This record gives sequence, C-alpha cells and structure tokens, in this order.
Amino acid sequence: MKAAIAALLTLTLAAPVSAQGLFAPSPDAPTISLRPFVEISNEKFLAVKTFDAIFGETTARFWGGGLQVTVLGDRVYGEIGASRLMKKNAELVGQRVFVSDGKVYKLGIPLRSTIEPLEISGGYRFHVHPRVVPYVGAGFGSYHYTEQSDFADPSEDVDVTHRGGIFDAGAEVRVFRWVGVAVDAKYTHVPGILGSGGVSQMFATDTQSSAQAKHERDLGGWAARLRIVAGR
Amino acid sequence: MADSRARLATLTLAGASLILLAGSRGGVHGDQRYDDPPFLILQGVGLPAVDVGLMKDESHGPDEPEALRRRALRAALKADESPRSSASFRPGRLIVRFRDDAPADARASAVRDAAESGIITERPSYADFDIVQMAGRDDPAAAARVLMEQHGDVVMYAQPSYRLHTMFRPNDPLYATNQWNLPMVDLERAWDIQPAAGSTITVAVLDTGLAYQDATILATVPAFRDERGRLYPALGRVTIPYSAARQVVPASNPDRIVAPRDFIWDTNTPFDFDGHGTHVSGTIGQLTNDGVGTAGVAFNVKLMPVKVIDSVWDFLFGAPNEATDEVVARGIRYAADNGAKIINMSIGRSGPPAPVMEDAIKYAVGKGVFVAVAAGNEFEDGNPVEVLAEIASRVKGAVSVAAVDRAGNHAFYSTTGSYVELSAPGGAIRGFGASGAIYQQTFNPDSTDTFLLPPAQYRAPRFDVLGYIPYTGTSMATPHVSGVAAMLMQQGITDPAAIEDALEKYAVDLGPKGRDNQFGFGLIDARNAMFGLGLAK
Repeated sequence: MKAAIAALLTLTLAAPVSAQGLFAPSPDAPTISLRPFVEISNEKFLAVKTFDAIFGETTARFWGGGLQVTVLGDRVYGEIGASRLMKKNAELVGQRVFVSDGKVYKLGIPLRSTIEPLEISGGYRFHVHPRVVPYVGAGFGSYHYTEQSDFADPSEDVDVTHRGGIFDAGAEVRVFRWVGVAVDAKYTHVPGILGSGGVSQMFATDTQSSAQAKHERDLGGWAARLRIVAGR
Repeated sequence: MADSRARLATLTLAGASLILLAGSRGGVHGDQRYDDPPFLILQGVGLPAVDVGLMKDESHGPDEPEALRRRALRAALKADESPRSSASFRPGRLIVRFRDDAPADARASAVRDAAESGIITERPSYADFDIVQMAGRDDPAAAARVLMEQHGDVVMYAQPSYRLHTMFRPNDPLYATNQWNLPMVDLERAWDIQPAAGSTITVAVLDTGLAYQDATILATVPAFRDERGRLYPALGRVTIPYSAARQVVPASNPDRIVAPRDFIWDTNTPFDFDGHGTHVSGTIGQLTNDGVGTAGVAFNVKLMPVKVIDSVWDFLFGAPNEATDEVVARGIRYAADNGAKIINMSIGRSGPPAPVMEDAIKYAVGKGVFVAVAAGNEFEDGNPVEVLAEIASRVKGAVSVAAVDRAGNHAFYSTTGSYVELSAPGGAIRGFGASGAIYQQTFNPDSTDTFLLPPAQYRAPRFDVLGYIPYTGTSMATPHVSGVAAMLMQQGITDPAAIEDALEKYAVDLGPKGRDNQFGFGLIDARNAMFGLGLAK
C-alpha cells in the first residue's frame, strides 16, 4: 500500500502545471458521467483475534471493480462495486483451532474462507483543488461469506450472505484527462456472520472488553483502497 | 480399579494373604531346598502364544432376554449407520458433462433453467466436464435433476460435487462384530482426521504390567489358604511359559515399548501376571487395520508399561512390593520423568485422602502430562468416593472417567459423584451379555487364574494363552479417554488442561443437561474434539 501511495504522489507531481487547468471541473461538465473503476484494497479486519487464530494474519487484500456515476457537475456520486480476495482461488487458507484459556492450538485441519462484497454507496465530491477531489461517502453492501474445512460435514461448512454498512473518505487525483487515481479509507461493518459459532463466538464471549467482543462479531474492518477511475 | 473378575481375584488374594505356608520364598518346600533365585524371568525365551481367539459367552441362549435386547440394539445401531456423507457435496458447484454437439447458448440456457445463478466456468484441467458455479442458496442436487430430466438433449450427466474422504474402517474382524465401543465415540471420523493415530505420543499405562515380551518364568510357588480356609498346595519350582500379546506389541515393532518399569518387583520388566494391564493397553493402542483381532483407539502410540498393581501371582511369586499409594505415586513421577505425555490409571481406591498421589498427579500435569483416572466401579457397593478420581477432578489436566454401557446409559456399576468429569464406554454384561463388554487381547483367564479352581485342580498358570477377552469397568472406559487424549496431543493440543477442556467441551451431554454426577460433562466425542473450531462455525 505504501508503494501505491508513493506511485500516486509521483503521478500527481509529474503532471505539468500548465495542464492543470484541463482537470478542473468545468461548468460544461456532463450532467451524468459514467466512470468504470478497478481497485485494490488492503483490509484490516475488526475480528482481529478470530482472523489471527485461524489464518495467522489479520489483514487481507481484495481486488475488484465497478461503476461510478457522478451527477450535478461531478459533485454527487453513486457507485456499485464488487470485490474478492486477492489470493489463489480467492480464498484465505488457514486451519481449524481449539482455544483454551486464551491460548490458540492449531489443529492442522485446512480451512478455506472466501469473502465477496457487493457494495453500493454514494457521496459528495469536494472540488477544492483543480486536480484533487476529496470525497466522502456511505452505503451498504451484501457480503457473501463461505467457510469450508477438510473433513467437514455439509452442516459444518458455512455459506451465508449478510448486509453491512460502509463509510469511506478519500481523494481522487486526475492524472490524465480520462484517468483518475483515488486513494481512500473505508470502514465496513458486517454483523451477523461471525460471533454465533466457531472461534469468533468463543472470542466474542470470552473477551473482557465489550468493544472487542463486538469486533469479533464483525466481518468488516478498515481498508486502505487504491482505485483507478476511467472517465471524466 | 478392578473389574468384577479382578475384584474376585483380589478377594482371593486377601484370603491367601492370611496364611502362607511352607516357609515361603526361597525356603524349604517339603524336603526339597531351592537354591535358585525364587523368581526369574528369562526374557525372550519362549514359544509363541496360543491364540484362543474370541472368548464367547455361551450362557446366553438365543431366547434369553439379553439376546433379544442385543438384537433390538443391533437393529437400532444398524439404523444409525445410514451413510453420513450422502448429502456431503460442495455448495455452489455442479459438475456437468454437456453433449459435444450442444451449442454454447443452449448450454447456458439449460444451466439458467436449472439454477438461476448458474454460470459455466472455465473448464478445469484434466476434465472432460464443466463446472457450473451457482449461488449458495441454489441446491446443486435439484439443479442436477433439472438438467438431467429436462435438458437431456444438452446434458449427458450432471451431479453435485460430492466430497470424498478417506473411509478408514479398520479391517480387524472383531472391530465390526464386537467393538461397539469405538464407533460410539466417533473414532472412525477421528481416524480420518488423524490416520497416524498418536504415533508421536507415549502413553504410560500404570497398571498390572503388560505382556510385551515372550519369556519363560521360573518361579517358586508356596502353598496358601484361600478366603474359605482351603489349602492350596505348594507348586514348588515351576516353569511358566509367557507370551507377548502380539496384537499390542508386534514382534516387528518392539520399539513401541518405551522405558518399561516395574515398581512391584523393582525391575525394568513389568510383566503382566493378571491380564488387566494388557487389556487396558490394548484399548489404547491395539494393533489396528491388520486384519486380525480387535482395534485400539490411538493404535500407533508408544506404550510405557509401568507396573504399580500386583496380582495374585505377583504375590505368590514373592513380589517385594504391593500396590500402595507410595508405589503408585512413584509410578506417576517415573512416567512423567521418562517421556510419557499421557498417563492412564485404570486403578483406584476409596478411603482417606492421598496427598502423596495428589502431589504426584500435579507434578505430572505440571510437566505437560495428561492424566486419565477411572472413576470407580462401586456404585452398587456404597458408592464410595474414589480418591484418585476425586484428585483428578481438582487438577486441570487430569480427568476422572465414568463408564457407559452399550446403550449409552450409565453403567450399573460406575461410581457417581461430583468428581465425575467424563464418560466413555466401559461396557456392562448385565442386560447385554458378553456383547456388552469391551474386548481386547489379553490372557485367557482359564489358563492364568488357576487359583480360582478347587484345590485339587489347582495348577501352575500359563501366560501363553491369549484371546480376545470381554472385560467391563471404568478401567475399560479410561483408556478410551487416554487414547483420544493422545490423538489430541498429536493434533496440536499440547497442554493437558487444554486437552481436558477439549474433551469436556465436545463431550456429548448425557443425563441431565450440563455436568452431572453420573456422566460428568458427557460421553467423549473423539472426532468433534479433534475437529475444533472454524471462524464462524
């Protein structure tokens, strides 16, 4: 992610000053602009203990894409996007565990999880700079989660979809007339999938902190996102 | 902890202990003086065992109530054997073989008709079929039916992507016919998870020893009187054949035995002169899937026989020590100091507290050793508190084990109390006949327990006749727990307290909801304890 931000800054600084005027929103900007995008994100899950126990890591990269629509002189936007894990077979691979007295014992039984968000959001774009457009947004998503383990009976695997909420804020930088690069932070809150079974339930029940207990029931998290947007 | 047969032997021993005649050890018997050592084991000198196979209980005719119960039980168990995996397919996936001449749009149309969300994915390598991915809510089995029944012009076959797994079912012949106890704790699925079955773990069996070597025993047997005052004559100097239980310690794998120790004779040759320790060891680690006899729980574990219980023959042979708190405590510490990770104690006593054993058990657990202790067989004999089991209940990492019968009910003899933590199959003859017992390879009592015969028929024992003998008791329940604990330890749960947690958390609750005095937390479930937890389930 650091490398991506550095690349973005480089692109920003590299744009000729004389060309900056080209990127300012103009009064004759299209009423509606359709802007497809691709993105990668690095998410830090809220259910830290749960993900650490099973996968030995608490972050995961996603890739995806979608379509953004801007209206009202590029000041209001709405978008739909889908993403999946940036892993082989789009799966996080860990192993089943047993937890006793707070200590995690890995059992060597492979467990594979997929997370497939489908998100719809909208927000406001602030034209405070000719090339840099900060924005804030909110929305909701549908999160499809699967969990499969070796030696599992069908009833022991998980395949559920649940709604969640999104908040994001960031800035888009015009690097070419038809290409923008956006960097933002996204917070997702996805209750209803974790916390009712498995190690997430154990952590949610055992933890002393009510905030952490709440987090262990949440499939969401904080993500840093890099996006390339095509269109004006 | 003794089963009923062993209890009888103990009573006999009590009688015998009253009067020992004829000058006893190494002394004069009649007019003959023995200068040889009174007791000598010639290790490795002996003939192979005589295998009498399964010992049948012929006292139960086909019209007996027990037989009717067995039939009903078999029918019930049969009904329960419906294939567990019949619906075991991967959700969201369908295997489809389209007809070669079916155009792409017809294929897509057929798939959409069968499952609204269905998408034909890129054909995987080494496949002449395609994979249709669909949403988890769509039923692949139903979609397959639609494709087969309504789109036969496009589809040659369609099926859900059923999961396969190893189907380990031991081929030991008596496993299928007599060992109801192992499926009862879901061991087949546990073995699927861990085919190695505890191969890196050493289990110490603190008991009457183990038939782990062929040998010839030279002993001097004095006369004695039994509990009824009957005189049993001195046998004088006798040569006794002794054979290993080859289904516990195969000749091809003598390394299976680790640091054997005999605290009754103060030697390193803990020969079993009773059969109890060999039977218990068999439940833990009987050779399995070799097409012979019975199966064991953690059939690849290493075994550490630690003899801390003396039998009638130990006494008559002149053993210097007997089973006391001191001997058992030393045995526990020895096992912990010599690499055991699990200690099985199918032994016990009631009476005053035993701080020496409590210290020893805590010492072992402190060294990372899990301890399983029998809860006792005296429910109908006043239900006294079992001292070792009570200690185990207070030490996290040690457990006390009650017994269930073949029907999963509280075994009629199994001691109850607040200290009972877990249950396991201990079997019961009452109501079930011999089919309700736990079978393992050990000595044929007809050849060893000659002291139970009338004096006129009394003769030297033979420890070279082995068979698959039915035993019952919490002695038999405990090694189930020890075996599963060994598998859990190999699976990665290395802390004794965590093993106890896992066994208790995944136990199948029996009796009143929650922990109770008959079953503790319930019947152990080997597979679920080893399967552990995922993220969300």
